[in-house]
Amino acid sequence: MATEDTDTGPWSDRGFALGGPDELSEREQAAVEACLRALADDEFVLAERYTEWQVRGPTLEGDLAVANIAQDELGHARLWYDLLEDFGHTEPELIWERPPEDFRHATLVERPFARGDWADAVVRGFLYDEFERLRLDALADTEYPRIADRVGKVQGEEHYHREHARNWLERLAEGRGDPDNGHRRVQEAIDRLFPHALTLFVPTAYEPDIVEFGVRPAPLSELRQAWLDEVVPVLEDFGFRLPVAADAHPEAVDTLLPTARGRDGEHTDAWADLHDEFTFTYRQLDRSEAPRLMVDPDDADEGGDHP
Amino acid sequence: MDLSTVKERAGPRQFGPTDDMPREYREAATRMIQFHANSEIMGAYIERPFVRQAPSLDRKLAVSAQVQDEIGHGQLLYRAAENLGIKTREEMLDELAAGEGKFLNCFHYPLGNWYELPMIMFFVDGAAMRRQATLKRTSWEPYAHAIDKICFEEGFHIKHGEDILRELATGSRRDQELLQRAFEKWWPRILQFFGPTDDQSTHDDFSQEVGLKTMSNDDLRNAFLNAYLPKAEKYGLEPPEYPRVEYHEDRDHYEVYEEDLDWDEFFTVARNELPTGRGQIDKRRRSQDAVAWVREAIETTPASGDTPAAAD
Repeated sequence: MATEDTDTGPWSDRGFALGGPDELSEREQAAVEACLRALADDEFVLAERYTEWQVRGPTLEGDLAVANIAQDELGHARLWYDLLEDFGHTEPELIWERPPEDFRHATLVERPFARGDWADAVVRGFLYDEFERLRLDALADTEYPRIADRVGKVQGEEHYHREHARNWLERLAEGRGDPDNGHRRVQEAIDRLFPHALTLFVPTAYEPDIVEFGVRPAPLSELRQAWLDEVVPVLEDFGFRLPVAADAHPEAVDTLLPTARGRDGEHTDAWADLHDEFTFTYRQLDRSEAPRLMVDPDDADEGGDHP
Repeated sequence: MDLSTVKERAGPRQFGPTDDMPREYREAATRMIQFHANSEIMGAYIERPFVRQAPSLDRKLAVSAQVQDEIGHGQLLYRAAENLGIKTREEMLDELAAGEGKFLNCFHYPLGNWYELPMIMFFVDGAAMRRQATLKRTSWEPYAHAIDKICFEEGFHIKHGEDILRELATGSRRDQELLQRAFEKWWPRILQFFGPTDDQSTHDDFSQEVGLKTMSNDDLRNAFLNAYLPKAEKYGLEPPEYPRVEYHEDRDHYEVYEEDLDWDEFFTVARNELPTGRGQIDKRRRSQDAVAWVREAIETTPASGDTPAAAD
């Protein structure tokens, strides 16, 4: 297969249909904001849940790895929230003072972990990271230059996450501990999480504009099909059962969706508790600003900032 | 090598895994490093809730990275201790879970709220840094090597701790009051961080003779007070009247009135019997038990697969 180098560097030779944050029409801006909110909220809430494994990982090495991933996701959330700040929003408005029903993440990332359920973390990571890869690939073709600037950095780190998830999936799937403990627990996690993973692809009212303006040129329905084509065979090859075939009719897939779908602001009960916990100190301090420690992403060199 | 040769040759980074060290030395070094490793793990444990409760994205990232660093330090130190051939890492982690592993007194107390966080992240970590800096000259080379990395990262933690402290100290009147209250609560524990005065410590003499320790508890505490009392003052914090701490200018020495400190509680802590510390140990054991199935599953995995990213 012939491969061609598509990495054209700082996008300089590429024209964009959309302008900078100050040059968008009202409708364009709404579409960009909706796209960014789903992105930022997914990463933020996923990271928030991952950090629960810090100091509770199955091994010291597993602990360190999940902490790495959580911090990567938080860093990505920060990049995307920062683009929302282009439109005049502040971090408190975007996170700390935002009512829980205004968050737009998928329900997959907010689900609580049962104590010791490492299989949940592994399956969740796998389902999410495969989605994330597809979403980022789609965003690499964005017509909004500010997003285009940042996709590459995020893509680089997500690669490691996918490897980590697949590696663990394999180890648990093939492990032969006390009677097939790993395999059984992974299956249970799939049964429980798969419907929530489908909420990643639930379109919002802005979806037609997001696609039409090229904020994310590929529609979510297309991403979902690509995702099913990817994750279903992988899991089936490990001997797991899935509630749908990869080539199931979209309407059949839709019937699996949970009642709360996240993207429309309707969340599962666990979300209110989580929101309450992570805003606790902010409220206790009675502040109206969130201290910044690190340089603005626009001024930062690639990588390198140790907090 | 016999013990008298060890004492003769004792010096910074003098001994390593290729030396045939006497059992007394290896046991003393294991005790010291295991204590340090356990303290890193339990320190990470009490700070962990503040990853969730941090009031900004950047602070959340910094606290998460710090907790991760501490687990990494634990990993590094258990490895350095394992080299001594007395205990394996698994044995040391099992001892910690069983409540037999000893760790720093301050980590037996829960952190109540965000105002208390800098008491650990600035003062206790600052005290730890004092001690650790002297351990760059410890005679067990693998320990000194681990300390190099630990001190480097600890520097970031203390900087972040100080930033939180500064933010609260320059906040509202209420912030300042809550901060002062947290300081008063933690101050006696921080003074006890360095343990009882030299004549009461059982392992001290031997450790110094064989070069594992290079400074006495008393000298370390004095160095800490010299550096950190002015910093406390800078942020408007006043040490409580008791325990009394008196500065003697002629000797450049802080005299801590030991009788003002609760040593019964200290030794209860040292036996792992303080209820809050016991609670931390038990909680940690339960969360470790809950993932025992993962360790079993991967131990017997026929597939290859690399160990997910290590710390260094």
